Amino acid sequence: MATLRDIKTRIKGVQNTQQITNAMKMVAAAKLRRAQENVVNARPYANQISVLLSHLSAENDITQNPFTAERQVKSAAVVIVSADRGLCGAFNTNLIKETVRYITEELNSKDIKAQLFCIGKKGYDYFNKRNYTIVGKQTGIFSALGYNSAAGISQELIRGYTDGNFDKVIIIYNEFKSVINQRIVVEQFLPIPIKKESEGDKKIKSDYILEPDLGYIFNYLPSKHLKAQIWRILLESNAAELGARMTAMDNATTNAKELIRTLRIKYNKERQAAITKEILEIVSGANALKAE
Amino acid sequence: MAQLNLNIITPSKIIFSGEVYSVTVPGTDGNFQILKNHAPIISTLEIGLIKIELPDGSTEFFATGGGTVEVINNKITLLADSVEKSNEIDPDRARAALNRAKQRLAEKINDKTIDVARAQAASARALNRLNIYEKYLRGTEVKH
Repeated sequence: MATLRDIKTRIKGVQNTQQITNAMKMVAAAKLRRAQENVVNARPYANQISVLLSHLSAENDITQNPFTAERQVKSAAVVIVSADRGLCGAFNTNLIKETVRYITEELNSKDIKAQLFCIGKKGYDYFNKRNYTIVGKQTGIFSALGYNSAAGISQELIRGYTDGNFDKVIIIYNEFKSVINQRIVVEQFLPIPIKKESEGDKKIKSDYILEPDLGYIFNYLPSKHLKAQIWRILLESNAAELGARMTAMDNATTNAKELIRTLRIKYNKERQAAITKEILEIVSGANALKAE
Repeated sequence: MAQLNLNIITPSKIIFSGEVYSVTVPGTDGNFQILKNHAPIISTLEIGLIKIELPDGSTEFFATGGGTVEVINNKITLLADSVEKSNEIDPDRARAALNRAKQRLAEKINDKTIDVARAQAASARALNRLNIYEKYLRGTEVKH
């Protein structure tokens, strides 16, 4: 049986937790606004550059280009973009689950060796403890996200790809849909998937003038494209993480509030019971005296 | 009549979006001007100056660090790593970047880890910014 004092300490404890979760929610919300802006600003560039690639490839044979040519896949790199920190609901858990599923179902079952590249501490911690090959990691980049970190990652991946360490690069990340909604996306990074012109587009051969020439442009574009994609993905994941954390902390705060309410009712009931009991004792004591 | 539309997009934001009369860009094969009904073209761009003539007759100048331009059906899409409007260039930052790059180039004899190509590109970009800043804000070109 919980005493009054016990309940009081509990209430106090829950209140403290509530304060912390509320503060974390505020922090996430403040950071989220900036992160959201960044994503929205980065999307047009990433989209346009892939549109440009698809325009180019619609008219020119690029199957010989090292960045777009399909190879026989013996080993694949899986890039998992997780968060550096926890307390953001199912953000990391779902991502890791999806990665494990992808590796076992899509790669291992086809005898493709999976090599992991972990961005974010949570994903790294998970896979490092288990029996997975990790070829690279980038942790702690989300606290100061810059275009340079994206450049470094894409360079490392491109090097591994051109050196033949892996024949395919897959990125698994959380896409930022809205503050309360993230979607896990599995995307092929290399070889560059060329979007087919959608049905809505007018299929006119436009006979581009290419300056200086196709070779030069195709030397230049893919690395830009890849860098832009990584940059976009990092920003997406960052915004998604903050959104997930905000929602999780909001839920925690609401739960704490509810818990405090029930505890307070219990406390009041106990208190009333104690008072009633005391009065009863006094009255019966007085009655006993009167009887004598 | 179709209008000539321009979008200048960098990884961090959309710099310019709207109708223009003409655009002059620093193509890899030389500067060229894009007017209405230009043939479809895809070109890479070098470090240099982008000049935009607006329909109202005014002009705007931008410094760019290289990128690509695509023209199709009177739609110009200019993708660049960095684009700065002439009046938004920070000359102190550009000067600092220039000095840093020069210093790195000077150290390269002793230090093999220095990426010469990168330092040279950085120096060219900074110089380009400074030149455009000086030319279109003060009316003088600086010699280095």
